[in-house]
Amino acid sequence: MNPYIPILVIGAFGFGFGVFSIVAAALTGPKRYNRAKAAAYECGIEPSPQAQGGGRFPVKYFLTAMLFIIFDIEIVFLYPWAVSFDQLGLFGLVEMVLFIGTVFVAYAYVWRRGGLEWD
Amino acid sequence: MIRLSLEIGQTQKPEAILFYILAPLSVLAALGMLIVRKAVHSALLLAWVMITLAIFYIALDAAFLGIVQIVVYTGAVMMLFLFILMLVGVDAPDSLTENIKGHRATAIVAALGFGGLLISLIGRATLNHVSVGLAMANEPGNVQGLASLIFTQYVFPFEVISALLITAALGAMVLAHSQKSAGARLSQRALSSVRFRGDSLANAAGLPSSGVFARHNAVDVPALLPDGTPAKNSISGVLTARGDVQDSTQYALGSLPKVDDESGDK
Amino acid sequence: MTTAQLIGQDPGWIIAVKGLIVFAVCILLTLMSVWGERRIVSIMQMRIGPNRVGKFGLLQALADGVKLALKEDLIPKAADRIVFVIAPIISATTCFMSFAVIPFTGKVNFFGHETAMQLTDLPVGVLYVLSIASVGVYGIVLAGWSSGSTYPLLGGLRSSAQVISYEVAMGLSLVAVFIYAGSMSTSDIVAAQDKWWYSVVLFPSFVIYAISMVGETNRAPFDLAEAEGELVGGFHTEYSSLKFALFFLAEYVNIIAVSALATTLFLGGYHAFPGLGFTESWLGGWFTLFWFAIKVLGFFFVFVWLRGTLPRLRYDQFMKFGWKVLIPVSLAWILIVATLRTLSLEGAPQAVIVGFTLGIVLIVLAVSSLFDRAREKNEVTARDIGEISTPSFPVPALPVAKARLEDHV
Repeated sequence: MNPYIPILVIGAFGFGFGVFSIVAAALTGPKRYNRAKAAAYECGIEPSPQAQGGGRFPVKYFLTAMLFIIFDIEIVFLYPWAVSFDQLGLFGLVEMVLFIGTVFVAYAYVWRRGGLEWD
Repeated sequence: MIRLSLEIGQTQKPEAILFYILAPLSVLAALGMLIVRKAVHSALLLAWVMITLAIFYIALDAAFLGIVQIVVYTGAVMMLFLFILMLVGVDAPDSLTENIKGHRATAIVAALGFGGLLISLIGRATLNHVSVGLAMANEPGNVQGLASLIFTQYVFPFEVISALLITAALGAMVLAHSQKSAGARLSQRALSSVRFRGDSLANAAGLPSSGVFARHNAVDVPALLPDGTPAKNSISGVLTARGDVQDSTQYALGSLPKVDDESGDK
Repeated sequence: MTTAQLIGQDPGWIIAVKGLIVFAVCILLTLMSVWGERRIVSIMQMRIGPNRVGKFGLLQALADGVKLALKEDLIPKAADRIVFVIAPIISATTCFMSFAVIPFTGKVNFFGHETAMQLTDLPVGVLYVLSIASVGVYGIVLAGWSSGSTYPLLGGLRSSAQVISYEVAMGLSLVAVFIYAGSMSTSDIVAAQDKWWYSVVLFPSFVIYAISMVGETNRAPFDLAEAEGELVGGFHTEYSSLKFALFFLAEYVNIIAVSALATTLFLGGYHAFPGLGFTESWLGGWFTLFWFAIKVLGFFFVFVWLRGTLPRLRYDQFMKFGWKVLIPVSLAWILIVATLRTLSLEGAPQAVIVGFTLGIVLIVLAVSSLFDRAREKNEVTARDIGEISTPSFPVPALPVAKARLEDHV
């Protein structure tokens, strides 16, 4: 049996449960329209008008996401390296030290320039 | 085309079923990505296309590549896309004005060229051969086989990738980082010290809250001081910079109809 | 026969039954853990907690679920209706999928069929769990965005930044485990821990994983995504009825999932506690499930304990901790582990290994003392700022000033 079929099975259970809950909620709950209920919730305060273009994220988060990609790629290389670490031996260690060292330069640069400061 | 589908018909049954279910879904999502109006819907459909690609990789016995496709593309790259969409404002309409000269012509030429490239590549695919070597490549295990290739035969490209990652970090810093926010900031302790040991204790218990009680309570309406002037520091600096501050004098008590003195006394 | 081959022989009906059992146990565990969390926290806070519905209030969570189902299902006017509905489904689907590769027991007899209580065994099992987690973030981000409201948007933003930051630390902390186990398959990793648990051998990895798993699941003290004091409910502020219940369910199932992964990778999975190995063959191997459950519930208790004890971190402190402490420390730890492993593989003399370890300890001490000195410097500047302006109103003498006065007298 294909080892990926059980994943489909458990995924289908979860998905089915989600869809079932949403359909059930639509059927069991009351429906009483009220303008205030459909408005955005701001603790009873009248919602202040949104800035032009809707909610915007600060540009800072672009940097966070980019750093995340960089480290994600590093992790993706680290995993196969770790799994066959014993076969690769000393040579594998040296090349990974070089790799981590180089990526660490990028990390140190971002840190030094204040890219890791949050307010 | 007919030969292609015959070929696929000859592959193992579950794989063929998977392909026939997912391939149309994937193509539909890709088309939908171009058609739908909202950028976030587009991004979601793209994420789905990437997941189906990952499933195809896994079906072709490239388990590691398939999972990495989800981790890196769906998890990281698409998250970056979503962040960027939210940076420019999620409801911002697409601008249709052309900023680059000859934009449209270049795009059409590039699209035609890429299409031609794809067709020629797919046209040259050999269909009647039985694929060999997959079992051999996966013999020590998919991950181990990959590792022994990356870290021996392809060491140099692997090390070059780290330089590429530095470039990415550098680019992100240049694009997104403003030096001003990196300036020295007072710590919470220092701020508290300034607040309590400074010249005035007026703000020691915190800044006044926004809104004029009982008349208006929104965050964009400055509080009124006893002399009737609006209190500037009751409003977030962001709102002031955005020019979204309302005039609170219109909610001042002076503009109210007269209230009974008696009820006021009690 | 390896576990992968053993499970690979399962006929379809066993896969379906196992899937159903895992799913049902997750739902049941969620109901129980909601009740358990409220009871434990209430004991910690010297309250009684829910004790009305059913014996000891055991049915409280179920009653809450029924209540939620009978509430109106609101969709705000500003919301993006399609994404608003999809988001909780993504959360609910992905949270269960991580359980597919968790080994709950060793070899057991399942209705007359030799198998192991594990849905499937992938050569990339742990990476699969990480990939599922990264898809799960979509539920939160999309919920925050699609609500068309300020608090959810802020919550979605915070939690996505938080989850991706701590995912890096989590991913890095697992590398040392793979180096020692030589595999990414969960059953191989458990099998490799029959003598020593990795939480002992690779203690720093375990600590980093344990911290980042709390950050990853948005739980106190890292629950900035739904900080009630600041963002009302965070990304699920606008959700009501069973859609809200789905997010709630996903949160608890995720807690169980990261706890189960921690148990598998660091606490020997279904293996018995040291010295109790003979119990593993009791009940035809089913007793291993007991050990697994004990460890997972232990982790859950720690989650609740943290929530009952620690205040929420400030956002900048939290991000700083993730990026400036966890990530460099785990990178350094990977290199240390790899070097030690290579030294012992290459047959280096004992003296070299001991010398290397001592050197590392010395470096760590030096760095930490440097950090302490830098912090002291900052403290001094803070005091200086305080003394720039002499207050024009009477203040009680500060302890330092008083001591100085006494010196003069």
